[in-house]
Amino acid sequence: MKILVIEDNVELLQDIKNFLEEEGNICEIAQDYKSAFMKVGIFPYDVLVVDITLPDGIGLDIIKEVKKENIDVGIIIISAKNAVGDKVNGLEIGADDYLTKPFYLVELNARIKALYRRKVYRGSKEIVFNEIKIKPENHEVFVNNRLMNLTKKEFEVIHFFVANRNRLLTKEAIAEHLWGDQIEMADSFDFIYTHLANLRKKIAKLGGEDYIKSIYSVGYKFTERE
Amino acid sequence: MKLVTKTNTYYLIFFIFLFPLMIAADYYLIQYVVITEVDEILQHESERIRFELKEKGTLPSSNYVFNTTTVKEEQPVLNVFKDTLIYEAYTDKLIPYRTYEFMASADSQRIKISLRHVLLEMNELIVWLFATTSLIILVLVVGLYVINQGIYKWAWKPFFENLSKLKNYEITKKNPVGLEASNISEFEELNKIVVTLMDQVKKDFQNLREFNENISHEIQTPLAIIRNKMILLLESQNLNKKELQWVQAVYQEANKLSKIGKSLTLISRIENQEFIRLDNVDIRTIVDNIINNMEEMIKFKNLEIKVELNPVKIKCDLILANILFTNLIKNAVQHNQEGGYITILLNEEKFEIINSGEVSKIATEQLFRRFQRGNTATDSLGLGLAINQKICELYGFRLDYYRHGGTHTFSLFF
Repeated sequence: MKILVIEDNVELLQDIKNFLEEEGNICEIAQDYKSAFMKVGIFPYDVLVVDITLPDGIGLDIIKEVKKENIDVGIIIISAKNAVGDKVNGLEIGADDYLTKPFYLVELNARIKALYRRKVYRGSKEIVFNEIKIKPENHEVFVNNRLMNLTKKEFEVIHFFVANRNRLLTKEAIAEHLWGDQIEMADSFDFIYTHLANLRKKIAKLGGEDYIKSIYSVGYKFTERE
Repeated sequence: MKLVTKTNTYYLIFFIFLFPLMIAADYYLIQYVVITEVDEILQHESERIRFELKEKGTLPSSNYVFNTTTVKEEQPVLNVFKDTLIYEAYTDKLIPYRTYEFMASADSQRIKISLRHVLLEMNELIVWLFATTSLIILVLVVGLYVINQGIYKWAWKPFFENLSKLKNYEITKKNPVGLEASNISEFEELNKIVVTLMDQVKKDFQNLREFNENISHEIQTPLAIIRNKMILLLESQNLNKKELQWVQAVYQEANKLSKIGKSLTLISRIENQEFIRLDNVDIRTIVDNIINNMEEMIKFKNLEIKVELNPVKIKCDLILANILFTNLIKNAVQHNQEGGYITILLNEEKFEIINSGEVSKIATEQLFRRFQRGNTATDSLGLGLAINQKICELYGFRLDYYRHGGTHTFSLFF
């Protein structure tokens, strides 16, 4: 998919661009309001990632312009302001999602994919990874075409993993994905550990392979590579 | 007490003391004047009588003489004024008189002559004095009251208008307070000072707010970059075990820093009253959602959870309500022990959450302070309750904590 990332910090912009390109996307960047405005007007994008505070304007204005011109594009706001008003405003004028800085790139990636699926496939697309098949809209996971019996959080974990296959998912990123950033729980890492153990067992029971690799004590990776 | 009531009370007290003083002063003054006048008349008359006696040898006719006696030579001479009461048959009353006795000589005889002059009846005088003085004071009191009310109403008008304007002043609102101008110099001066103070406070407030916004903005982007680079380092296969541990530590601290930043920003935003939305928040749904979100965590810790939720709606900011209840429920889960219990009760009056947990050593009043951790071993930041306290202050809720051994109770009264 084609993504335009609008963000004034070059370093962060490069991080996002590299990450999204490694995921197989075409990623273009804009560092200020003017060039972003120009690019949005000329090229078709699937998803815009917009920072609210830009050196020469407000990201919200770009969203307004996109909505006015009736351009069909998914919009994710990224903002460091942590301002509730920004979030409400942004969603009200037509943004699809909102992420507060600093966010995990894997979280951004999962959100972009989910948004793209909702936009383009109306949510009906299945996500397939070898013998594992996920139907996000029904919250269902199949292994070798057999339905897995999963709890809510287990589904969210496997969905998050498959969306970020071959990526290092730190425990912090997983915890924030599962409970949001308001909950920092001391036990959450133990919980994740136990859940992943259960998940491995359930996949193995249906004849699936163990793709969940533990990476040091930092986190996990969902991969078929060794 | 209102200014006008206070002033009027002081006036009244003043008059109550003044009243008898005025009557007494009047009484003695008039008595003194009358007696001096009468004495003068009698003195004058006595001199006339003496003169006539000397010239003509006979006692002249006089309205004042009421008694004459011849006295022997050796009797001492006395010229005295006296107050006496003399019975008057025609009124059947004792009438007060002023008398003057003096010696005169006629035909080598010495005569003691008594003169008298009727005095005003003092009782009557007092009654009249009392009446007139009362009337004067009454007129004065009424007049002063009316004048005072008028002053209060007209002269103080700009003061009271400004007072109500200042009462409604909110620092978060952009529009300036237009104070009522006055031609009274004290009020003008007060206005000037108030305006200067407000401007200063507003400026400081704006600076603080900008500082907070900038800090949260400027700190989060570098933190995001640090985190991303740390992930890249962790993903690279070239680090030895020790280096990996270092990178991991940096990563975790950056995470913590970011969370502290977010929480502190939230606290100052609540303090700055930036949350002004009043949603009609369905507390039951919020609590239900939070419990659902943590359901598996609760199961994981083998907690027995009992929930009794009545439908309750409260006017507040939806996001703050979410944070408030998330913090309370999260705490009950986090500080619980394996196989413990949580009881949640929600009704119109309060939200109560009781949980089992370790016996805490921290004093109850310390619990709500920033960076106060219930258990030093855990990784929590200790900002949750401080945030809750701020939210409660904002909406006038009361958050009580009570513990009994290993039972901890948080009660939130709406």
